[in-house]
Amino acid sequence: MRIPRRWLSALLLTGLVTTQAPPPAAAQDSEALAYYRQAKINWRQAEGQSLTIGLNKHPFTESLLPLIPQFRALTGINVDYLILPEAEYFTKLAADLSQQRGEFSVIMTAPIRNWGYVIPDWILPLDGFLSDPKLTDRAWYNLEDFFPGLLASNRWSGKIGGGIGEGPLYSIPVLSETYILAYRKDIFEQYNIKIPTTIEEMAEAARLVKKNAGIAGITARGTPSVASIGTGFISGLKSYTDNQWGELDAQLRGNLHDPRSVKYTETWVNMVRESGPPNWANVQWYDAMEAFTAGQAGMIADADFFAANYEDPSKSKVAGKVGYALLPAGPGGKTYASLSTWALGINKATKNKDAAWLFVQWATAQRTLLNATLGFRNYNPTRSSVFNDPEVQKVMGSWGNGNYLKTVARNLETARVAWIPQPERVRVGDIWARSLHEIYFQKMSAADALKRADAEIDKVLKEAGIRP
Amino acid sequence: MTPKRRRRRQEAFLPYLLMAPALVLLAGILYPFSVGIYYSFTSYWLQYPKRFRFVWFDNYISLFEEALFDRALQFTLGFTVAAVILQVGLGLAVALFLHGRIPGRAVLRALMLLPLMIPPVITALMWKIMMASTNAGIINYLLSFLGLGPVNWFGSPWGAIASVLIIDTWGNLPFVALILLGALQALPTEPYEAARVDGASPAAMLRYITLPLLSPFLILAGTFRAMDSLRVFDVIYATTMGGPNDATTNLHIMAYQFAFQWYQIGKGMAQAVVLLILVVLVSYLLLRLWNRASERTVQ
Repeated sequence: MRIPRRWLSALLLTGLVTTQAPPPAAAQDSEALAYYRQAKINWRQAEGQSLTIGLNKHPFTESLLPLIPQFRALTGINVDYLILPEAEYFTKLAADLSQQRGEFSVIMTAPIRNWGYVIPDWILPLDGFLSDPKLTDRAWYNLEDFFPGLLASNRWSGKIGGGIGEGPLYSIPVLSETYILAYRKDIFEQYNIKIPTTIEEMAEAARLVKKNAGIAGITARGTPSVASIGTGFISGLKSYTDNQWGELDAQLRGNLHDPRSVKYTETWVNMVRESGPPNWANVQWYDAMEAFTAGQAGMIADADFFAANYEDPSKSKVAGKVGYALLPAGPGGKTYASLSTWALGINKATKNKDAAWLFVQWATAQRTLLNATLGFRNYNPTRSSVFNDPEVQKVMGSWGNGNYLKTVARNLETARVAWIPQPERVRVGDIWARSLHEIYFQKMSAADALKRADAEIDKVLKEAGIRP
Repeated sequence: MTPKRRRRRQEAFLPYLLMAPALVLLAGILYPFSVGIYYSFTSYWLQYPKRFRFVWFDNYISLFEEALFDRALQFTLGFTVAAVILQVGLGLAVALFLHGRIPGRAVLRALMLLPLMIPPVITALMWKIMMASTNAGIINYLLSFLGLGPVNWFGSPWGAIASVLIIDTWGNLPFVALILLGALQALPTEPYEAARVDGASPAAMLRYITLPLLSPFLILAGTFRAMDSLRVFDVIYATTMGGPNDATTNLHIMAYQFAFQWYQIGKGMAQAVVLLILVVLVSYLLLRLWNRASERTVQ
């Protein structure tokens, strides 16, 4: 029942509801396909071939699936897909890529994931497809429509420790996220709580919410895995240090024990221990998102597009009550949030490379991404024309009384990929997150726990041959 | 060739023919098993195929430098001891209860088997919802009537340890109870009659007749549970992923993390082999104990 209802809301949004009977399905199809047929390429050049797409269970995936029949009709290419929860998906993906059997042709990936796939030469650069007139109509596809920063984050020169935005393009962004602070406007107003601009103020606000409203002052991811580091936590830390600090130093040694990092970590962990949910150490992203949506927390520092969930009156208790703000800035007064995109890339071992590219081109075409956003809530869009589409603006513009859009736009000015490029990012993040647990459960001081984490990071990077 | 000789030849082939499916199956198990053992002696790391080397015992030696290994080994053994005692103890209680003359015995016996029919991952997810740390969880809600809690089930190390123990026990108790119930029903009745004539109390009968006669079965059930508890994975993976603060990381979870989260196949396999040796060793010791106990009961 879910999809038809979504279709209905899409229809309402685009103002297509008329009293006339809808046109027959075939006519609808050919109308939809006409847009793609404007491209001066032969969409049917790989007809009869088969593709398997590897997908992570994610809002983007849900927005893509209902559109896939259109691709089949357009190209005559058979599409199968495998959807797995994130952890299992990336395990399965690594197994397939490393065996070079090409089970997945197209993969759902992210810049930070690509670092691990480029070094062993598992994924294809896409520049060759883009410049081949037989495969891509550049004018129609309009790569320049993508926000430059998002596209750049999917380029990597292969240089460990740097080179983001340089070198080949490895994947095309389909959904972007930056990290912002969402807070309960009603509670903050009722108890006269100041919207925090420093991490100390954020801890204080969390304390006041808990004291006055009797709910968790803040909810945040807390499982001992990289996922707990990569959103609000690392964004706050980057801002706290005015973007002058990274988790590895210039010699690629662990740099978590830097005094600024220690101070910030102490404040953050104390905040979640004193004012966070009691089960913080077992909170995954969806637990945090759902808790905030259910009105169980005063703040959440996480992905901006979770707003689509907070503001959905059919499942949210806080729709219309949420304020959006940048994460606390550092001494320089600026916020340096992390940025991430989900993206589509191509497995080097796939036998049907051209068909795979046709799929990527179709899935990231302007019309497909617009339909995904309007019809199936694929936020945030990565193409500026989709982002600025009046209907999309109307939806996003209504969140937080327009504050959402303003906050995200300002965040994007300074947001960048927070992590230092190297293939062991997941491992470094896991080690880091474990050290937060040592601090949270008061087994060690922040300084000691982070120093120990650094030693472990040094050992791993040396073993992997990343550091001499 | 006489018909007799032909028949004899056919009979000679028969055992091989009957064993063939088992041999094929064995090969299907042995191949990946041997590959796993081989990898445990290599530096196999998915993302760095060029660094693949044969490293002899390096992966095994490096385990002792791994801070996590100590914790994982301790939890593996601690969990096993606790789970076996808990499950065999409660299993015995349930078996004795269902062996007695109680109304609705047949229905209760059938109901008892329900948890066995649910896949462990589903069991774990079901309990995860019931054990939510806030009062939204039904367990904490029920505890509040007793003036207890709320217990921080998955958010604290001891809470998490208790949680996985409870979930594992709920899922496996019926198995133990079933073995012991079967054994109880097969026990000879003469010793009980003799004891009753001598005026023995029910407690004394339990202590001096039931338990000694049941001991081989208790050990057998314990052995099965020990083997499973040493390598428990699904319940932990679906609830705590080994956390918080590594409190529920056992060797199996650790091997999984190394092999499938960080792609260090060589190290992960070495950890899995250590676990295997542990399982074989513990079951060997328990089976010896079982042998001795069954000989004693037969005498």
